[in-house]
Amino acid sequence: MASTACFMIVSKNDIPIYEAEVGSVPKKEDAAHQHQFILHAALDIVQDMAWTTSAMFLKAIDRFNDLVVSVYVTAGHTRLMLLHDSRNDDGIKSFFQEVHELYIKTLLNPLYLPGSRITSSHFDTKVRALARKYL
Amino acid sequence: MVGMSTKTPPIQRIVEIKTIAEQLHFKLSTLLLHSGKVVEAITWFRQHTANYRSLMGSPEVIFLHWEWLSRQYLVFAQLLETSSADVQHVPSMVSVAAEKPTEWEFHSAYYYQLAASYLKEKNVSLEFALSMSEDVGPIDGSAESVVASAYLGQFARLFEHGDTCIMQSLTDDEYVRYALAEGKRFQDSFEIIALLKRSCEAYSNLKAERTAAYCGLQMAKEYFAVSDFGNAKQTFDNVASLYRREGWLLSLWEVLGYLRECSRGISSAKDFIEYSLEMAALPVTSDAFEPSSKDCGPAGPATLSQRGKIHEEAFEVARGESELNLKEQNTELKVNSDYPLYLEIDLVSPLRVVLLALVAFHQPVVKPGAPSLITISLRSQLPTNVEIDQLEVQFNQSECNFIIGNGKKPHIAAISNIQPGRRVETAPSLVLATNKWLRLTYEINSDHSGKLECIYVIARIGPHFTICCRAESPASMNDLPLWKFENLVETIPTKDPGLAFSGQKAIQVEEPDPQVDLILGSSGPALVGESFILPVTISSKGHAVYSGELKINLVDTRGGGLLSPREEEPFSADNLHVELVDISCHVPEDQSEAPSDKIQKIQPSFGLISVPSLDVGESWSGQLKIKWNRPKPIMLYVSLGYYHQSGEPSLQKVHVHKSLQIEGKTAVTISHRYLLPFRQDPLLLSKIKSVSDPDQMPSLALNDLTMLIVSAKNCSEVPLRLLSVSIEREEDNDACAILPQHEEFRESVVHVPGEEFKKVFTVIPKLNCTRLKIGTVCLRWQRDSRVEEQFDFCDSAYQVTKHRLPDVNIELPPLVVSLECPPHATLGNPFRYSVKIHNQTEFLQEIKFSVADSQSFVLSGPHNDTIFVLPRSTHVLSFMLVPLGLGSLQLPRVTVTSVRYSAGLHTSPASSIVFVYPSKPHFEASDMKETRTNSVVAE
Repeated sequence: MASTACFMIVSKNDIPIYEAEVGSVPKKEDAAHQHQFILHAALDIVQDMAWTTSAMFLKAIDRFNDLVVSVYVTAGHTRLMLLHDSRNDDGIKSFFQEVHELYIKTLLNPLYLPGSRITSSHFDTKVRALARKYL
Repeated sequence: MVGMSTKTPPIQRIVEIKTIAEQLHFKLSTLLLHSGKVVEAITWFRQHTANYRSLMGSPEVIFLHWEWLSRQYLVFAQLLETSSADVQHVPSMVSVAAEKPTEWEFHSAYYYQLAASYLKEKNVSLEFALSMSEDVGPIDGSAESVVASAYLGQFARLFEHGDTCIMQSLTDDEYVRYALAEGKRFQDSFEIIALLKRSCEAYSNLKAERTAAYCGLQMAKEYFAVSDFGNAKQTFDNVASLYRREGWLLSLWEVLGYLRECSRGISSAKDFIEYSLEMAALPVTSDAFEPSSKDCGPAGPATLSQRGKIHEEAFEVARGESELNLKEQNTELKVNSDYPLYLEIDLVSPLRVVLLALVAFHQPVVKPGAPSLITISLRSQLPTNVEIDQLEVQFNQSECNFIIGNGKKPHIAAISNIQPGRRVETAPSLVLATNKWLRLTYEINSDHSGKLECIYVIARIGPHFTICCRAESPASMNDLPLWKFENLVETIPTKDPGLAFSGQKAIQVEEPDPQVDLILGSSGPALVGESFILPVTISSKGHAVYSGELKINLVDTRGGGLLSPREEEPFSADNLHVELVDISCHVPEDQSEAPSDKIQKIQPSFGLISVPSLDVGESWSGQLKIKWNRPKPIMLYVSLGYYHQSGEPSLQKVHVHKSLQIEGKTAVTISHRYLLPFRQDPLLLSKIKSVSDPDQMPSLALNDLTMLIVSAKNCSEVPLRLLSVSIEREEDNDACAILPQHEEFRESVVHVPGEEFKKVFTVIPKLNCTRLKIGTVCLRWQRDSRVEEQFDFCDSAYQVTKHRLPDVNIELPPLVVSLECPPHATLGNPFRYSVKIHNQTEFLQEIKFSVADSQSFVLSGPHNDTIFVLPRSTHVLSFMLVPLGLGSLQLPRVTVTSVRYSAGLHTSPASSIVFVYPSKPHFEASDMKETRTNSVVAE
């Protein structure tokens, strides 16, 4: 498992709808929301790259010092973003695919308004479990 | 170099290695970039940094490592920048593997950013190292003599003994001291800011605003660190607006926390309260992960409890209960009467989450003076309840403003400066709970017509804190941007759900009801040609009329652009179907001097006339004269605008509108026909040639009498009186004689609707020409005033309807055949029936004729033959007939055929009928003549 990983789901309106710190080691002395800032900055590249490829998994698109941003873009242009420091492409890809499935299940919930914050604790638990499994 | 060992100590050794590596790398990168191999250069650079990144060296001088690393990035950024001018690289982005450079790595901005980031790292390490070294003791002056030696990356101490200089190698301990002393001399923060600024600008140029914002954030933090709060606040503000727009709450929270501290730094209580309130109202509701507070920025952890804390702190300062601690010199700022606090919240302000004011009128329109209900709904997303001391509602009509006091704090309601005469209401409580609407409904009265719009809702909390909130309509309310996607209970701002979707913050106050009658005298359809006169009467019932203006508009009913009043182009009379000719009014004698403000403006479709002042009960009337040039239905709009009180220009004008549809109709249609004399048929060659041509000009025989029958039909719905009929010649020549030229009816003919009036003229062409202009029939008529006595204006005026007779072709008939027979016969008595064939040519004419037997007559004479008619002579075929039956009988048919022109004469059935009496009747000769004329007309 990666020592640092921050996972976010960004809706198609560029609003974060889910965020989780999934690193095994507590954060370094960086300022609290450093990871969010980095992920937000990476959206610039995602919006350029998402249209150049038909693949959903965009792999590592941005690098910040030793941190890497990997992105997975769903068909509805919801972006799953992961900030990590390990180089485990296959694991990340599997992680994204599983989370995508989870996200689709959330969308199927008739009480969930697409584009709104995901507050389900079940979803949260599952994502953290997946992170432990793959990252 | 004496005494210098070949083996350098470990710290200096690493420094030397890195310095040399830097040199080599610089040359390699320059070469690669100059040859355009950008990808190779980037790969090389990455490898270079990866190789040396882990080579940190001794922990005391770790800042040297970071400084070196930062310098690598900076140099490469500058190299890339200078070379990228000629190498326009478009990175292929099909698949970016981990080994391939990412998109940003092609841009210098990325390297500047990282250079700044490592420089920051260096700064932190340096400060740490300095704090450690201070324990050791002050650095001795010997460090000052350390210089770079002749070898790259090596340092040596310089000893001066008289003229000779001796370079002595350093121990690591000495070098560390030297490096620390050197490091102290530089202000890294400004360099970091400069680097980040370059990076930020470069990213902005690449349209990567989010990445630029990240650089901006780091820059602002650096400004913050060096206590440059003005710059920091400005940069943070830019960054915050992006996060606010995109709804990145935690980032926004963090930035707002910094901004709050910055406003403390620049001693701005207003900014401090604004940022605090915005933070407190952010939708940070989850306590999902709570980092320990030391990891957080100045904002503290983004939790509900922290929001509550910020909220309380802000309101304590705003109410003046506690001072705002400022950063500098331990001074404090207090909100009091010298420093009142005034916040304004508009439609785009981020503070809408703090206080949202919706105003809805219950009706869309209201009569002046009539009460209307208004609901004011307030909502706040602040985490704890807010008690408002006083609410003021402001309208565009300031006399409607009112104040709502808090019933629980009656003594505080009095503190504010309430203007005398201002309406004050009291609400039982003015407490805003989180995400709950506070609904207040009041009655409101406006005496002024026009738009009454609520503009501001002003909340006063404490003696010196005011929030001025721009009123919004529930119908056009936008969602709160940050709260839109949160799990919130959806509530509607008003009790009535319909009002929540349609309520408006403005109401239309109607103008007072007019108490003046505007009467348009309708008189049925208008007739084309006449000046149609329409009486307009203004009679006052309850209002006096001052500065009255009467506007008249003519509009095509079919909506065509007949006559728009705005059209400035000159109208010519031909294309104008309907025009307003004149407006006349009865000016009272004493006002004959005509006041200077008397307006009268008449255009073909638009008229404006001023109405004299009228007292209650008086009336005024005028006449509109409208002329139709062509039949067309129009709409006439007449509107009267007036003030019902004199000398008060602030009053609204009262308007009365009336409209009337008037049909313009053709009064008389005239038609004509030519008729040959009875039982006389000239042979007109042009008639033979083209038989079935409807457009053919009628042909008349030269020197022969032709009857012209003009018939006029009354198409209108009113009886008309015909005054005269005449034929006006176009050319005054003797080409043809028309009788009578002009006939004035001694006793005018009343022409009832639908009736046809006929007049017979005789025409004798005198000149042989192919196109003879006969002239124009002019019929003078007027409305029959005996039927509708009120229209006395028709007496003198008359209208002329004209009908141009078409041109005729005059030709000399070669042959003229006339039948002669007595007008009536008696049973058993023989009578003569003769056919005269007159040859008008210079040629011998061969004529064939035949007579068909008739059962009603016994016939004697030639039956059929071919005869020759000599030039300019007449041949007569004569028959004796004895009638055998009674009544109207058909004479035997005579067919005459000209061989030369292959034309035959077929007499019309009407002309070959004779009436047979049983015995000889007795009547006057004059009667007989009339019978004959009548029969002609009846045809």
